[in-house]
Formats: sequence, C-alpha cells, structure tokens
Amino acid sequence: MLLRRSSLIKSPFLRLFSATAAEPKMNLDDFRTIETNPTKHSKEHIGKYYQIDDTIRKKLFAHGGIPKKYEKQIKTFNESCLMVRPQAIEIIDFIKKTDFSKPTVRYVLYGERGAGKSMTLAHLAHYGYVNDFCLIHVPYAPDWYKRPKECGLSTIHEGMIDIPLECASWLIHFKLQNIDLLTKIDAKTSKTYDWSKREQTPAGSTLIELVDHGINRAKYAADVIAALIDEIKIASTAGKFKTMVLIDGFNSFFYEKTRVSVDKKARRWPVTPDKVTITQPFINITNYDWCNGVCILTVDIIGMLGWDRESNLPRYLLGKEGFEHLDPFVPIKMENYDDLQFNSCISYYVNRRWIQNTEKGFDQELKFMSNSNPYKLMELCNAL
Amino acid sequence: MLLKNIRNFNSSIYISSRHCFRPYSQGNVNEESYIEDEFRVLNLRKTKGKQRENAKKSKPPSVPPPRYQQMATDQDWSAVWPGPRSFHPATVPLPLRQGWVPLHKTTPGKFANAELMKIPNFLHLTPPAISKQCEALKKFCTPWPKILESEEQQEKHFPVKFISSDYVHGLPTIRNPLSRIVTIKLNLDNLQLDKHAKDKFLRLVGERYNEQTNELTIVTDRCPLKQQNYDYAMYLLTALYHESNITEEWENTKQEADMEYYDWHRNKSKVTSTEILNWRSTSDKKIDPPQGYINSVETLMNEGENDYNLNKYKEEVIKMLGLS
Repeated sequence: MLLRRSSLIKSPFLRLFSATAAEPKMNLDDFRTIETNPTKHSKEHIGKYYQIDDTIRKKLFAHGGIPKKYEKQIKTFNESCLMVRPQAIEIIDFIKKTDFSKPTVRYVLYGERGAGKSMTLAHLAHYGYVNDFCLIHVPYAPDWYKRPKECGLSTIHEGMIDIPLECASWLIHFKLQNIDLLTKIDAKTSKTYDWSKREQTPAGSTLIELVDHGINRAKYAADVIAALIDEIKIASTAGKFKTMVLIDGFNSFFYEKTRVSVDKKARRWPVTPDKVTITQPFINITNYDWCNGVCILTVDIIGMLGWDRESNLPRYLLGKEGFEHLDPFVPIKMENYDDLQFNSCISYYVNRRWIQNTEKGFDQELKFMSNSNPYKLMELCNAL
Repeated sequence: MLLKNIRNFNSSIYISSRHCFRPYSQGNVNEESYIEDEFRVLNLRKTKGKQRENAKKSKPPSVPPPRYQQMATDQDWSAVWPGPRSFHPATVPLPLRQGWVPLHKTTPGKFANAELMKIPNFLHLTPPAISKQCEALKKFCTPWPKILESEEQQEKHFPVKFISSDYVHGLPTIRNPLSRIVTIKLNLDNLQLDKHAKDKFLRLVGERYNEQTNELTIVTDRCPLKQQNYDYAMYLLTALYHESNITEEWENTKQEADMEYYDWHRNKSKVTSTEILNWRSTSDKKIDPPQGYINSVETLMNEGENDYNLNKYKEEVIKMLGLS
C-alpha cells in the first residue's frame, strides 16, 4: 500500500496536473514568474522575469527610473518585464526584517557599469509602492549637476545656485508617485512656511498643497523640496507612514565637480554640489536622525567625470565625507549575471523573438562577449 | 715648333673625320703617312706616360696575424688581460659577434666592431684571476671575528651600515671628489621609538624611510671630505632621534587632516554609530559599537577598499544593526 502511494506521487502525470492547477497555462516558461507582487518575491524567484502592470509602471517611472534603453526594449517587447535579481531579494529580506522604530538603515548598491543597479532600484520602487511606502525617488541625480536646463543665483539663499526647472520637475515626479498615498493619509504641515509677503503655506495644510505650490512657483521649488522632506521626516518619525528613499547616483552629491554655473565665462568647475540648493534636502533625508524609513542608494561611476573614473567601489565614489555621512551603511554588490540568470535572460530574448538565429553555441558566444554583463548583453542582442 | 704641332693637330682631325665621308681634297704625301699611326695625343707638358706606369706602388706594411691565433690553449689568461681594458678583437680568442642588422643578415664579427668596444667587459675578472688576487691579498687580512658569524649578530653589534667608495687611478692627484659621499643605513627598530616619536621621526625623514624594509637611509655629500660627511650623517641621526622624542606644545593641536592613519575614535563615524545604537534610549548607559565593526571600518579606511574588506564591513554592519 505504502509502496504504491509513493510511486503514485512520483508519477509525472500527477505532477503536471498539480502544476497546471496552480498556474495558468500561459506562464509555463521557466524564465517567467506570475508573481507580480514584489512583496512575495523570494529566493525561488531569482533569475525569473516578472511583469509590472503598465498603469503602475507609468505612474512610477513616467519621469525616469527605468534606463532609457530598457524603456525602449519594453516598448519593443510590448510588455514591461523585470528580472528578479538576488540583490533585490536580499534588500527586500532586509526590509522585512527591519525594526522600523530604529533609525533608517542605508543600503548602498555598487557595481560595475550596466550590472543592473538602476533596474534593481526600479524593482525596489515597485516594492515600496505596493507596500504603501512614501517614495522619495530620484531617477538619476548626476543629471542635475551634469545637464542642468537652467541655473541662476538663488534669490532666497545668498551665494547659492538654484536649478528651478529640475526642482519643479522632481516635485511633479514625486506627486505622481505618491498621490495615492498622500490622499489616503492625512499628513499635514507642522508649521507655516512663508514664501514671500503674499504667498505662504499655513500650518495644517496637506503635503499635496505644499507640493503644488512648488510646481506652480518654480522659483520656490527648491525650498519646497526642503520643506517637504522635513515634513516627511517628521511624519515618518511620528509613524504616520513609512518612507522609502531611492536615489540613483548618490555619489554625485559629494563629487565636487559640477557643470552648474551662472556665469559661463567663469572658471571651469566653479560650483560644488553643496552650493546648489537642491543638494541639501537629499543629504538631509539620507541622514540617520529619523526612523520608519529605508534608504536605498546607488553609487555610480558614470556620475564622475571621465578622468576620475578609477574605481567602482563605494568608498572611492563617495569620498571621505560621503562615506562618513552614510556610515554605517550596508554595501551591496551588484554582480553580473550568473549562469541561471544568463540562461533566463537568453530564453526571454528567444521567447520574444529578439534573438532569432539560435545556432548551436550562440549563447556561449554571447556569454563570452558580454562577460555576462546585463547591459552589454542587451546591446549585443540588439543586433541579432 | 708650335707651328708644327698645330699642323699635326689639324691633320689628325682631318684623318679621324675621313672614315665618315670623303675629304674634299686628297692632301699631300706627308699627311698620308699618319694614317697608319696611333691616335696621337696633344702633350703640352711634355711628360712621359710610360714613366708613370713604372712608378713603384707603395706596399702596405706587413701585419703579423692576430695574436689570438698564436695563443696556447692552456695559457694564463690573467697575464694576457691583467686589468680593465676596452675590447680588442685580436687579443680575445672568442668568436664574438655583436650589433644590429636587418632581418636575415649576419651579425658583424668582432673586427672593427665599435659595438663591442663600447660595452664594458669583465674579461679581467675571470674567476681564476679573482682567486689569484684574493690569494695575494690574504696575507694582509685578519681572521673574521667569531662573534659576527651570522647576519643577526652583525646587525645587533653594528646596527648602522656605513657605505662609501674609494677610487684608485693613475693621475697626478689621488683625490676623487666622488669618494666624499657617505651613505648610512639603519633599521628603525634599533632606535626604540614610541608611537608619537616614530610618527614624528617618519615625518622628519620623509622619503628617506623605506616602509618595506623598515630601513632609514641618509646620504651626505655636502662636505668636501669623507670623514666630515660621516660626522655630519651621525649628527643628523642623533638630532633626528632627540628631536622626535620631544613633544612640542603645538603638536597637541593636531587636526584630523594631519592624521597619518584613520582612527575611528576621532571621527564622525563614532558619533553616528553610537547615536544610532542609542536611538531613543532613556537609560544613562550608552551602548558602544562592537569592536568588530570598529576594526572593519578602520581596515577599510587604512588598507583601502577591496571586495574582502567591504564584505567584512557589510557583515559587521548587518550584525550591529540587527538585520541578520
């Protein structure tokens, strides 16, 4: 009797039956997972692709967050799929274990170019969104210092330089990401903010009103960001909501060379980031003096200028000041694909008919040429 | 005379042109007789051509064959080549070749080869020659002290190494200005400096200290005599030692930027981690960050970052923040 039972369980028919019962037929590919909720992602999902709902993607990453080339690929494949990377799972596990009554833990993602730091950040932003975190998401900080659209002397803070358009567009980004949460929760300003003689945001107004003011009056956008971040810190510490800070290219806040300048005839690198009004709030939010939040930052070698790109490691990229600001943080190395993730990526491309010529050994060749680097692999496969 | 010559000249032109075309007139008998003769040359100087041919050609002096062809195979080489000397092809019995040539060409041989003469040779320092010289010098030597058999003992009894050069040459003066230079070497452990003194000592000596071998090197050449330079070097060593043992008043104002290494206890890192661990704690007793974390930060900052140090730091931070 016992023998017969065990043989029954081992029979392939039964297993197939149970598998089809659990999952719908369309997702039998082993490189995909139907688990679209990042909260439920665990080690068994590593290397598999999951789909982000298009409405969520448009809400979260409308103003950046997914690298442009990947965005293009999403459009081509007609579905927004992300791979579950082990580093994302590691951070999600840490967040689940975190005691939110203690000061914010800072995680720093580092790794070589194209290893998937920004994509991991996008995955975690999705996690934060699903779990009702208030997202403070900077899609790519070096953009502010490398390619500012407009810069002028700040009228409010003497000697500081303002990049009002970037500030306002970040506020739009913030509002789009958090509008659901902010309408749900009654977070009010704790004090009155006087912008000018006629304009003020009285104490007790909602954070949305504060943000709207910054969007409408770009001149005050930088100060609105500072006020907003102060308010979020106060509200988080009070336990009204949880906050997730996601900053891509955090090292640019501590890199002393910027292209921000009021006078183009002035010296070549005249302005340091601490002289730009947008810097201080984001350094403030990554400090340890608040709780009920989590900071996930990436350090990126592309944030540096060409001749300063010596190492990918966080201490070099952050500098002594930046390192001491974040210390103690949890460094997390973004590795290239391992065999499992590489095969999964290749089968995804084959499935999307992005790779059509599947001669024997083509995957080995791709692996050798790309060194399993996700970005290089994507670039190579574009031509296939 | 001149007239005759001119006439001859005219006729010779005349005859030479005769082969090409018939002359207008058949000239006289005298002219006819020249036809069979040799082509005549106008000789203004009146020299005799045959004399020149008979002149004696100067013979090259007879050279004996190169010396190496007459050498015995068991000869005393140190007698042939007793001292330093630039290469001589006839004396050296070796089939040497030297010099750059284009591909597939043969390298030039040793004769008239400037390349071989340019390079220094040690043909006078063959092992038999050295042993012969050592034998000759032996009678002037005293036995080596038994106490200094091993290198450790030499180092212990004579910690300061003194290096200088003597020059011997055949000139009216026996002085060589290069012989004044004196080098002194010393292992820093022999000085027994404390932490402060060692830091100050290293700052004072600068690049004269070799970190790998823990050795100090002082080179003095500013005085004209060797003895003076030696005295000056010893004076410097003494002064450095005593100066580094003195603590000046201004040394207490040492800032973080002046530190030669990263000390966790002096840095912002200590404040941050202590505050994080004591967040909202009401008790007076403060929790101190664990020693493992402190060590990992210090190694990360002092040794520089690498995968191993970063992993260690990560482990310690996770342990400290209670994420594991």
